[in-house]
Amino acid sequence: MEKISIGNWELSALVIMSFCTKIFLNYPRVMSESAGSAGWILSAYTSLLAFVIFTFMLRLYKKNYGMDLIDLGELIGGAPGRIITGVVIISFLIYFIPVNLREFSENMKIISLVISPISFVTLFFLGTMILAAYFGLEAITRVNAIAVPVISAGFILILVLVGQLYDFSKLMPWFGTGLQEIFIGGLPKLSYFSEIIIFFMLPPFLKKFNNFRKSSYIGFVFAGSFLFLSTLVFLLVFEYPTSTESFLPIFQLSRLINYGRFLQRGESVFLLMWSFAAMLYLSFGFFMLLYTFKKTLKLEYYKPLIMPFAVIIFSLSLTPPNLMSAIKLDTVYFLNWGWLISFAFTTLVFIAAGIKKRKGKKE
Amino acid sequence: MKKLFLLILIFMLCCFLSSCYDRAEIDDQAFVIAFGLDKGKTNFLRMTFQIAVPSAFGQEGGGSSGESGEGKEKHPKSVTITTIESPTVYSGFNIVNTYVSKQLNLSHTKVLIISSELAKENMGMYINAIHRGREFRNTMYICVCDGSAEEYLKNVNFVLDISPSKFYEETFASHRYTSFTANTQLIQFISRAKSKSINPVAILVGVDRIEKLDDYSKENTNYKEKGRENYFGGDFAAGNIPKEYKNKTSAMGLAVFDGAKMVGMMDGAETRYYLMLTGEYDYSYVTVPDPVVENKFVLLNVKQSRKPRHNVVMEGDTPKISVKIMLEADILSIQSGINYEDPEKVEELETASEEFFKKDIVRLLEKTTKVFKSDIFGFGKSMKWKFLTQKEWDEFSWHDKYPNAQFDIEVDLKIRRPGLILRTAQFEN
Repeated sequence: MEKISIGNWELSALVIMSFCTKIFLNYPRVMSESAGSAGWILSAYTSLLAFVIFTFMLRLYKKNYGMDLIDLGELIGGAPGRIITGVVIISFLIYFIPVNLREFSENMKIISLVISPISFVTLFFLGTMILAAYFGLEAITRVNAIAVPVISAGFILILVLVGQLYDFSKLMPWFGTGLQEIFIGGLPKLSYFSEIIIFFMLPPFLKKFNNFRKSSYIGFVFAGSFLFLSTLVFLLVFEYPTSTESFLPIFQLSRLINYGRFLQRGESVFLLMWSFAAMLYLSFGFFMLLYTFKKTLKLEYYKPLIMPFAVIIFSLSLTPPNLMSAIKLDTVYFLNWGWLISFAFTTLVFIAAGIKKRKGKKE
Repeated sequence: MKKLFLLILIFMLCCFLSSCYDRAEIDDQAFVIAFGLDKGKTNFLRMTFQIAVPSAFGQEGGGSSGESGEGKEKHPKSVTITTIESPTVYSGFNIVNTYVSKQLNLSHTKVLIISSELAKENMGMYINAIHRGREFRNTMYICVCDGSAEEYLKNVNFVLDISPSKFYEETFASHRYTSFTANTQLIQFISRAKSKSINPVAILVGVDRIEKLDDYSKENTNYKEKGRENYFGGDFAAGNIPKEYKNKTSAMGLAVFDGAKMVGMMDGAETRYYLMLTGEYDYSYVTVPDPVVENKFVLLNVKQSRKPRHNVVMEGDTPKISVKIMLEADILSIQSGINYEDPEKVEELETASEEFFKKDIVRLLEKTTKVFKSDIFGFGKSMKWKFLTQKEWDEFSWHDKYPNAQFDIEVDLKIRRPGLILRTAQFEN
């Protein structure tokens, strides 16, 4: 598998897809819940902050380029270090994949497959995840590279078509719930960029550090812009506090597209790109879970793990008793603490690896 | 390879199986085009459903009643109506589903009619239930019926349209060229009802009670309130329109809300000024009194040249609101024959028209502060700019301050074109 190589655009597309899929879930609403009418400022702030921290992390990581997080764990603490790092990443993935799987399935049930049992709907996504895992990382990144521009175009189209409903007074008061709430209280919202931890599992598939850095930056800029635009447009259309009601903000936006009898019911575009984005997102996450597990335990193959892990993910996704609990697991627990693993833990690993390497050179 | 083939097969099967649970044949659905809510007699709600009968669409003149030809039966109606009583909105759907042979589908519902009696009590809980429902569209129109919603829906007659949904779409979009109603879609209503800077309005609909135009009494209009000797077009609201037509229903004016509770009504002319004040005005024909000859009128085609400028300043607890409305107009008719097209006389007509508009606008604004106590124009949005945080804005409590508002109105009207006649020549005799 190590022979697989990821292209520059493919990595950028992975970054965009990983960060932006949550736009279709709850991102604009959560921004509005936290910062009121200033949700767009919070979105810009967290995107910028995540970018700055990522740049800092890249500087720490540069000297160890070519090694992924698990390799670095091994460098720091041998086999225990590798296993601890692996377990942290696996725990992270095994938390957010089932939660997101449940949310996507519930959304599909609410929007379209109203009568179908949730397990039946979940199986659709799970089927794609299994299939994608069999095809492997190369197939996932290739499909993703083609799909991201199409999904992005559909997303931009929705934002443009609701333009007739923009009202800039809805962005007032300027600082929404207050500066402290935005700039201090909003810090945990960095967790929206938690997938950053997975990207540091990818360097073995990219040849040069500069390519990794450049592609990640491009992905970051697009993802940050999309996150910002989604929140801005959502708040231009839905005034606070109505903006905190919508369960699926972009879906609600797409339902408002109405240009006479010629153009309406934009949710059909939404449904297509949303389910496609969800499948790509979950497939990538699922593959990385298998890959991390394989690498942590130094297994030769990952394919025999697909079905057992699929059963685990499926079962875990059905554990929350209802959608509200699943949303709480995502927007309360994961959003408040996810950054500790993705940013704090990863940075600590880089720092420790740097110290270890320097010590090794001296010795 | 075998496994892969099996997986692809399973994946493809998923696509075909997806309709097992949620299959919905169009032929098995009963599409509700309009639905009405009244206060019930035996239960909380009386619900009236106007359901499309698609089989009637394709038939000759399938829109409404009338003879299709010699020896033929009356045209089948393109809609059927049913009324039930139930405690809640959704339990009402269940009841109807037991006897209409098809499953109710609300994804094509164009309009929700609520009786004024129910609207005055507070329709928040019903609107919330509808907003939560997946099938209801946020773009459907919200209307208040001055009377019973059931009566309105039973009297609608799609004279010119085969498709009932097209009838509603076009009727409620007519505000673009009549300015007697406004665009009051569900999402706008909900957003405003929960806003701290603006209150909602809903289109006023009704059933015109007169059979013959000779039976009409001008006492049904608001001309006296406005200090006129006779009524102008728009000095009445839905249900009181002086007309004779197969369709007994009408839409004119607006229901005014404070939150989700109806607090009053505006007639057609007031609605025009509402649109001018909010910047939603497009164009319409307006009759203004001739500035020189009594009981003669000048007819103008008035457009809004620019969005109105609002400025709100607080003096103590009193909001001082200044508004500048910029209009332009084309002359359509001058009954007196005075040559207002003359560049030297046009100013006289412009000034008189500005005064005419200003007087009615001030009257409307005072009605919203003194009678309705509701800011439906969104002046609060101009005030909101001055606050930095939501908490400060919430504590300011604009809706409590609005009833004390004082206004300074400026209307700027420019006459641009005289129509096809550049100079009025007098008739002989």
